[in-house]
Amino acid sequence: MNGIIFDLQRASFVDGPGIRTTVFFKGCNLNCLWCHNPEGINLKRGLLRYSEKCSACGKCTAICPTKQSDCMLCGKCALLCPNDALELCGRIVSVDDVFAELEKDRAYYEKSGGGVTFSGGECMLQIDFLEELLKKCKDVNISTAIDTAGNVAWSHFERVMPYTDIFLYDVKCISESLHIQGTGVSNKFIKENLIKLASQFSGKIVVRIPVIGGYNATYEEMNTIAEFLASLNISQIELLPYHKLGMHKSEAAGVSYKEFTEPPAGFLAEWKNRLNSAHRCKCNP
Amino acid sequence: MTERIKKLTELTLKGEMHVVPRNVDFSQYDKSSPCYVNEDVSRLCEYIVKQEPVINEYCSFTGRFNFDGSVIGDAFKRGGHANTFAALSKYYLKPIDNLSTMEWQHATASYFKVLEKGIEGIKEEITLSLKLHTEPQEQEFLRGLNAVADAMIEWSELCSNKVSEFAKTIADPKAKQRLERLSSALLRVPRYKPECFYEAVLSIFVCFSADPDSVGTLDRFLTPFYERDIKSGVLTRDEAREYLQELFLMLQASTPISSVHFTRGGESHFCIGGYLPNGDDAFNELSALIVESLIELPTFIPQITLRWTKKLSSEAFRFVLDCERNDPHKRIAFTNDDKRIKCFTENCNIPFEDAVQYTMVGCNEPAFLGAITGSTSKGNILRCMETLFHSKSSLIVKTNSYDEFYSIFENELFADLQQIYDYDDMYNAERAKDINYISCLFFNGCIENAKTLTQGGCNVAIASPMLIGITNLIDSLIIVKQFVFQEKLISMQDLISALHSNWAGYEDMRTIILKRGCFWGNDDELSNSVAQQLYQSLYNFLKGKKNLFGYQWLVGDLLGYNEHHKMFGEKTLATPDGRCNYDLIKFGIGQSEGKDREGLTALLNSIAKCDANAIACGSTITNLYLDEKLVSEQANFEKLADMLEIFFNQGGVHFQLTYASKDDLVSAKASPENYKSLRVRVTGFSDYFVKLKPSIQDDIISRTVHRS
Ligand code: SF4
Ligand code: SF4
Repeated sequence: MNGIIFDLQRASFVDGPGIRTTVFFKGCNLNCLWCHNPEGINLKRGLLRYSEKCSACGKCTAICPTKQSDCMLCGKCALLCPNDALELCGRIVSVDDVFAELEKDRAYYEKSGGGVTFSGGECMLQIDFLEELLKKCKDVNISTAIDTAGNVAWSHFERVMPYTDIFLYDVKCISESLHIQGTGVSNKFIKENLIKLASQFSGKIVVRIPVIGGYNATYEEMNTIAEFLASLNISQIELLPYHKLGMHKSEAAGVSYKEFTEPPAGFLAEWKNRLNSAHRCKCNP
Repeated sequence: MTERIKKLTELTLKGEMHVVPRNVDFSQYDKSSPCYVNEDVSRLCEYIVKQEPVINEYCSFTGRFNFDGSVIGDAFKRGGHANTFAALSKYYLKPIDNLSTMEWQHATASYFKVLEKGIEGIKEEITLSLKLHTEPQEQEFLRGLNAVADAMIEWSELCSNKVSEFAKTIADPKAKQRLERLSSALLRVPRYKPECFYEAVLSIFVCFSADPDSVGTLDRFLTPFYERDIKSGVLTRDEAREYLQELFLMLQASTPISSVHFTRGGESHFCIGGYLPNGDDAFNELSALIVESLIELPTFIPQITLRWTKKLSSEAFRFVLDCERNDPHKRIAFTNDDKRIKCFTENCNIPFEDAVQYTMVGCNEPAFLGAITGSTSKGNILRCMETLFHSKSSLIVKTNSYDEFYSIFENELFADLQQIYDYDDMYNAERAKDINYISCLFFNGCIENAKTLTQGGCNVAIASPMLIGITNLIDSLIIVKQFVFQEKLISMQDLISALHSNWAGYEDMRTIILKRGCFWGNDDELSNSVAQQLYQSLYNFLKGKKNLFGYQWLVGDLLGYNEHHKMFGEKTLATPDGRCNYDLIKFGIGQSEGKDREGLTALLNSIAKCDANAIACGSTITNLYLDEKLVSEQANFEKLADMLEIFFNQGGVHFQLTYASKDDLVSAKASPENYKSLRVRVTGFSDYFVKLKPSIQDDIISRTVHRS
């Protein structure tokens, strides 16, 4: 079985506990204005153009079989561009190909309590491919994590839960209108799924909140999130401060992007503390 | 740190603790006297007893002296070794055939004997050997050693008198008492075996003059004294710390402040931990104290390597790694005993109990205690690839398979290796004309074999010329295999033409190679297998091959202080890995220029899988450049520690770390005034980045900085 991914990162320290390999699935059904992996939104392969690197040498046009009118993603221009201004994004890969890569760092996962993380884009959109990979990992006792925005049918969760050790679950905000404004979609399913997951999943749930100045980095919104999470059985809450690294990629991927601001360090520290301590009182008295 | 150590540190960093050699006006020698051996020995003895020790109110040790070249001095600095200098003037930094240069060699004393039986005990060994070796040359050599041993005893007595005189002028009762103790101890050691920890350190302090290279395996030397004294209550941990710190300051002061090496670590480097002869791990409370004491000092020298073993606890490993991350002077490196001992026992046929008595010296060169390093010449291992594509391309243009290509390549590789190792023997033969006396007192085998160390007198040693360009060589082979034979995207003829024209007219080919090449370091099957095959060839070539003096050859890939990667690179034409005419060659085993794209675990796996036969356990380094964020947070630090432990478990030989972002390095080169304190690991040593030669700065900048 094949799937489409846009990156596979070994030796990741940031996508869950221990040393991990993270697979970035292509395609997402949210369209966050601050997305830091905008090249992963579109489900299809595509050509990224980093205009700031282009020296207008003309090589890409000269080499292109379609003279760049109707790109068939042959990749020639990206291969020959002397300035790395073009990049073919997205690889179609088999379960076995990906699994072979994941297996290479097993010794590191075992030693560090790490494993693999399926991220994206939204990995749950390629549910069959994901399920196969999860099963293969579980067969050899590789610990697994799913990084999801949660905007999928509950049945998807049911399919992957048996093979998943950790969910990294993104929560952007609780207010529906604000959610639509920032991501283009309602958060109805996201909230419902998280509630169900928290009551049915026996593994670890880590809620991750992107904290975005000019969007959700307000006391009001953080309070609402805290209230929502307070009653749920989740293990940990992480705050991810907004950064601008996605900006140049958005342009390259032709995705709309809005510039926000980084939240003040004090605000982050305060809420990290408040959210986790409020939560600890409830679930780990 | 105590006030006394603070004061000594201040004086050391001002260069005031360096012992300046005293000029000696040599008189005529009475050649009929029974103690006269030869003029070299007489001059040497006279020189020693005419030196002036550094004594001040802060010391609790003294007795160091340095040589000035007027006599045949120690084997490390080689003052007075006329033939060695003549050879160096011909071959040092002067590559022969763009293939080989002669280098400085390390010489590492062993202090076990002097701590066990004192110089008097060593003299007894000489007496015994004199009975067994009757050849005139042997007799002369042994009698020379005996005379020098006497001179060392006389020297410490002279120091004792001077300290005693000086103590009389001191009012502070504490200082006076300290000096009086020193004076009386100098009458006992190093002449006799030390009775306590303090005397053991003093013994090493004085004898270091005979070979000022490395204090070897300091924890092993001192542990019996430390344990006994702590147990009996005559020593506290804090006192031990002070003595160690004073010893380290002496090592720093051994290098004059005017030397560029004053701020570099390679001058004095030693080990802690590792396997003991009984198979246990040596790391103990004293080992930890040694690291702790050192990093408290704001000095550059010495450097320490932790010898990691499978038996070392994770806590101990983390403790040293934590010291490393907190050490702004970057003085700590790590090596894997399991892999090295495998190499020494299996490849060099050294018995396990001897194999464990090694240390790391200089820029990360393994060296046996009481032995010289059989070689440290540098060879350009990429030259064989250049020859194949530029002057012997007719041999490869019609090859039909990679195997066919490889066997032609292997012939060329072997021819160059033979030449490199022959040159190495030639340098050693030149050096063997010098007869060293003083260092031999503390080297294993010289007395019983009645032979000086430069002539193969040492019992256990290895020889490891450094091959510069192994990574370029692996990458070049990969490119040929991948593009010419597997994907058939580039014909051999086109690749040859591209290299002949230095890629002119073949820019697209070069771009494709650089972007799509399965370069080594990404832990994929193609590149790993190519690297393994190359190491297998090196192993096949070297298996059982010994140097002039019977020491097994090994492979190293280290660069020293000098710019061999530039020196050789500047004369080497374009190679298939995308390198242009005269570009720098890579050194060490690692990757750069973003060619390792798959992250740190992939690079570590590739390195660890490289050499199943451990033939490359010569002077081999892995410099890892890490983003500072990787260690600033405790959780990440724990992950890094796990990762590096796995690296060793899987067979990595060595690593040392530098924390800096690429932006920092680029800015530091452009505006050195803002980065005066940025210290980096370079090849085997560490130094201020802004003080490095530009070609070495460029190499560091091109190395991949790994993030999380
Ligand atoms: S090949 Fe690259 S640099 Fe040249 S015009 Fe195309 S995108 Fe720009
Ligand atoms: S990928 Fe191929 S078809 Fe598309 S623009 Fe580049 S060269 Fe043209």
